[in-house]
Amino acid sequence: MGMQSQIEEQEKLLDEALANVKVQAFQMKRCLDKSKLMDGLKHASTMLAELRTSLLSPKSYYELYMAITDELRHLELYLLDEFQKGRKVADLYELVQYAGNIVPRLYLLITVGLVYIKTNSSLKRDLLKDLVEMCRGVQHPLRGLFLRNYLLQCTRNSLPDVPDGTGDEAEGTVRDAIDFVLMNFAEMNKLWVRMQHQGHSRDKERREREREELRILVGTNLVRLSQLESINLDKYRKLVLPGILEQVVSCRDAIAQEYLMECIIQVFPDEFHLATLNAFLKSCAELQPGVNVKNVVISLIDRLATYSQRSDASSADVDRGEIGKLFDIFSDQVATIIQSRVDISSEDIVSLQVSLVNLALKCYPDRVDYVDKVLLTTGQVFERLSLEKVVHGTAVSKELSRLLKIPVDHYNNVLTILELSHFVPILDYFDYAGRKSIAAYIVNNILNSETYIPTPNEVDTVLTMISPLIQDQPDQPAAGDDDQDADDFAEEQGLLARLIHHMRSDIADQQYLILSTARKHFAAGGNRRIPHTLPPLVFQAYQLAFKYSALQDQDELWQKKCQKIFQFCHQTITALTKAELAELPLRLFLQGALAINRMQFDNHETVAYEFLTQAFSLYEDEISDSKAQLAAITLLVASFECMTCFSEENAEPFRTQCALAASKLLKKPDQCRSVATCCHLFTNKHLQIHDGKRVLDCLKKGVRIASQCMDLFVQTQLLVELLNHYIYFYEKGNEHVTVAMLNQVIAKIRDELPNLESNEESEQIGKHFSNTIDYLKSRIENPESEGVSYEGLSL
Amino acid sequence: MSFFGFGQSADIDIVLDGTETRKLAEIKTEDGKKERHLLYYDGESVTGKVKISLKKPGSKLEHQGIKIEFIGQIELYYDRGNHHEFTSLVKELARPGDLSQNTEYSFEFQNVEKPFESYTGSNVRLRYLLRVTVVRRLSDIVKEVDMVVHTLSSYPDMNNSIKMEVGIEDCLHIEFEYNKCKYHLKDVIVGKIYFLLVRIKIKHMEIAIIKRETTGSGPNTFTENETIAKYEIMDGAPVRGESIPIRVFLAGYDLTPTMRDINKKFSVKYFLNLVLMDEEDRRYFKQQEITLWRKGEKAHKGAGGHTPSPHVPSHLVSAEGGPQGSESMIRDPPPDSAPKAPVEDMTREDGTSPKEE
Repeated sequence: MGMQSQIEEQEKLLDEALANVKVQAFQMKRCLDKSKLMDGLKHASTMLAELRTSLLSPKSYYELYMAITDELRHLELYLLDEFQKGRKVADLYELVQYAGNIVPRLYLLITVGLVYIKTNSSLKRDLLKDLVEMCRGVQHPLRGLFLRNYLLQCTRNSLPDVPDGTGDEAEGTVRDAIDFVLMNFAEMNKLWVRMQHQGHSRDKERREREREELRILVGTNLVRLSQLESINLDKYRKLVLPGILEQVVSCRDAIAQEYLMECIIQVFPDEFHLATLNAFLKSCAELQPGVNVKNVVISLIDRLATYSQRSDASSADVDRGEIGKLFDIFSDQVATIIQSRVDISSEDIVSLQVSLVNLALKCYPDRVDYVDKVLLTTGQVFERLSLEKVVHGTAVSKELSRLLKIPVDHYNNVLTILELSHFVPILDYFDYAGRKSIAAYIVNNILNSETYIPTPNEVDTVLTMISPLIQDQPDQPAAGDDDQDADDFAEEQGLLARLIHHMRSDIADQQYLILSTARKHFAAGGNRRIPHTLPPLVFQAYQLAFKYSALQDQDELWQKKCQKIFQFCHQTITALTKAELAELPLRLFLQGALAINRMQFDNHETVAYEFLTQAFSLYEDEISDSKAQLAAITLLVASFECMTCFSEENAEPFRTQCALAASKLLKKPDQCRSVATCCHLFTNKHLQIHDGKRVLDCLKKGVRIASQCMDLFVQTQLLVELLNHYIYFYEKGNEHVTVAMLNQVIAKIRDELPNLESNEESEQIGKHFSNTIDYLKSRIENPESEGVSYEGLSL
Repeated sequence: MSFFGFGQSADIDIVLDGTETRKLAEIKTEDGKKERHLLYYDGESVTGKVKISLKKPGSKLEHQGIKIEFIGQIELYYDRGNHHEFTSLVKELARPGDLSQNTEYSFEFQNVEKPFESYTGSNVRLRYLLRVTVVRRLSDIVKEVDMVVHTLSSYPDMNNSIKMEVGIEDCLHIEFEYNKCKYHLKDVIVGKIYFLLVRIKIKHMEIAIIKRETTGSGPNTFTENETIAKYEIMDGAPVRGESIPIRVFLAGYDLTPTMRDINKKFSVKYFLNLVLMDEEDRRYFKQQEITLWRKGEKAHKGAGGHTPSPHVPSHLVSAEGGPQGSESMIRDPPPDSAPKAPVEDMTREDGTSPKEE
């Protein structure tokens, strides 16, 4: 039968049943209106007979049940009314028991029994006992569940709820209520479990779905127990919980066990859970193999963890002692569960540990040792299971990541993580990808939390911990297999670069040790990594040198230390050159030179010169790309221009070499530009060099080279640039540069410009030129008081 | 009574003493209609007056004597001609003579023995009647009045529970228990069924009360079984270890006391038939005789005196000897414990032709 026709069939059956109910209910009410009770009962019984059906699905049966019990309310109200008026019907409780069919009979019995209870509470105890016992007659799971649910619903406000030894014995005490609900619960659970074993095995899925729909009926029993106010801790511990657990364990049904354990956790107060942890957890160990004990335990742990926090805040009359024992109890019981349940998966084991960590963190924020203990236990379990590697992306790996990330997030301080001596051993269980991911997580945490790592030892430990980011690992995939794209790699290494700035001590000597330690790690990073990681280290070192320089009054060894630092930097940068890098170390050397330039330690000129020459030789030996060469020369010249520490003895060779190098560039435009740049070598206000003649030589050489360019666009562009250089030096007061020369260059440009094809490029060149002319015009029109004169300039 | 309207005739009325106060009891007639008659017990005197009213005032009624008889008789339907009178008492009301006016006679049967209970069955009737006869030459004038007799018993000295383990090998083993073997007519049967082994798919279980009437003797024995009540006590399929309560109120059914070999003519016995029906409509059943007896009305009130409240039906508090079903919910028997008594066979029937044994 198709799904669609099944649904239609159900609808049809239900509609028929509901129609009958409507008719009978109408008749029943009419009879009751005429005070014909017996006839009314007969119609009620006929109506109830609809509930004998075996054809309805649980969902349809539920609808029918609701419709019928709704109508039964009329009967109940009628009887209550009659009874309260004193018009009791003798033996009504007996009369309804003449009904031949058990299902209608018991519904009527419950309805009448309830009226008896409500009008004469001295019958309560016996009637409750009788009703719950008589319901055993319905062994059909679906019909039994609903019947007992009706019993439970009817009695919900009538259960005796006074402490033992108080009140009227016939009315009963909370003990009777407990017995009543526990019995009903046990019977309902048995019926519910039985559903699983009826019918074809091919319907298993549907059955389980139906059972899910019905579970609330069973759970309501527990809710009812939790609503009894006279249940104190003692009663809960001695009667209620053992009663429930016995049924849960003995029913040996995974679906029921999982749901009911969860139910217990949710419906009863935390204080009760706290006092009965051992019993509850012991039962957890006895559950069926299919039960996800992990979820149950975790749910309890989470709840108690939250509770202990809450009670912490309000510091109510909670037994701190009990909370104090929480961790130990859970820790022991979780261990038992893991050991006793052979089927438990590794990821579930780890999940349990995760919630233990959560508990420890929430309840005992200052007990780092608890967290460490969990990590230790986890390691021991892995050892016992002979688990060697946790493969990234598996469920275990996800749980294990959580286990490690939770403390990272919670402490938000990597230094506390370092106190966990078993953190790294657990980390080592991960494969390469897993370790790297955790490492990145830790680094991000350090950065976001702005944690500073203040000692070399800690630096060493942290860097060891995150070594998958820093160095090649024996187990990492071969270079070709590593599909990490360049951007990701750069980003990851960028993290490390940022991390370096978080290794910081206020004590300079300490900082030096930190940097040395860090370099040990980073230097081993290989050619791909060090361009990212060593530069920040070098910059940190320069910073440190500045610090020593500032401390020269307090530290008499500062000069030596500065030298040592630059030695350190030299080595570090050299390491980069060995990695066949050139442009980067060149810049670092230049940066170093600039830094040294600002410190007056002994020998600093030599050191600075060394740095500069290192940069220069990098240029000579390693840089071959013409663009890069031009850029390098520009940097070299610019750095040199800033240097103040050189004597002529050191300055002259550098100048000459630089100019020579500039003129040797391969392409004419590059030559032209670099030669023009070299002008600045010969006029340095710091070094008191003003060699106007050589400046002019350079400019002239530039013009000559420019005119050798075949491309008119390029030639004109270069001339405009040169014109600007001329103007610059003219304005700087170089007496070798004259207005006549300016006129000459201007004329030359003017000659060339009209020859240029009109396009975007020529337009740009024209604009550059006209801007320059405009500048000159403004100079002529508004001469500065001490500025040079542009007399004779022909525009 | 008079032929062709000649001669005098008379109407006879029998007026029993205490008609206003005496209880009436219901009894079926042969054709199933219900009648109500005055109720007498064994040893009670039957007294009253006979009124003879002449139809033709002024004219004489000649007779050969007037008598009244108290008769207890058993009528077997297959033997219409013969009524077996087990009691017959005669009182003469008037010697032969003439009646010239309406006349009234008192009569008195002192402490009459009424050994049996009035009964109307399928093949037999036991009745008590008063018969007044005005004996005449041609045709007697006769008037009969029925009475109902109930036989009361006192509480039985021995009233053990019925407890038995029954089953069909490797298929179904149950243990059932009825709290007594003798029940009075307004009694409650309390008991339980305990399932020891269930390998069939049970649909439901019911208790039937069966009346077995046996008449005649030797080759002319007739047995008639009638199902008086069918009472469902379980719905659905139980599993091993379940115990199902039984509670049947007898007052609602049309029952008589058990009658054994009444005047060597007939017997009426009652059986409780425990019937289980499986999903293929096969029936499994076990019959067990119970004895029914009639309890004196007056003693009724005091009998269940240990109820905690006058409003609680007495059965709520488990009577002595009754199963204490509510005490332990789950009684997990050792899996291979030997049954205490040999297991008796149940009867199994296919569903095609369900019939009571």
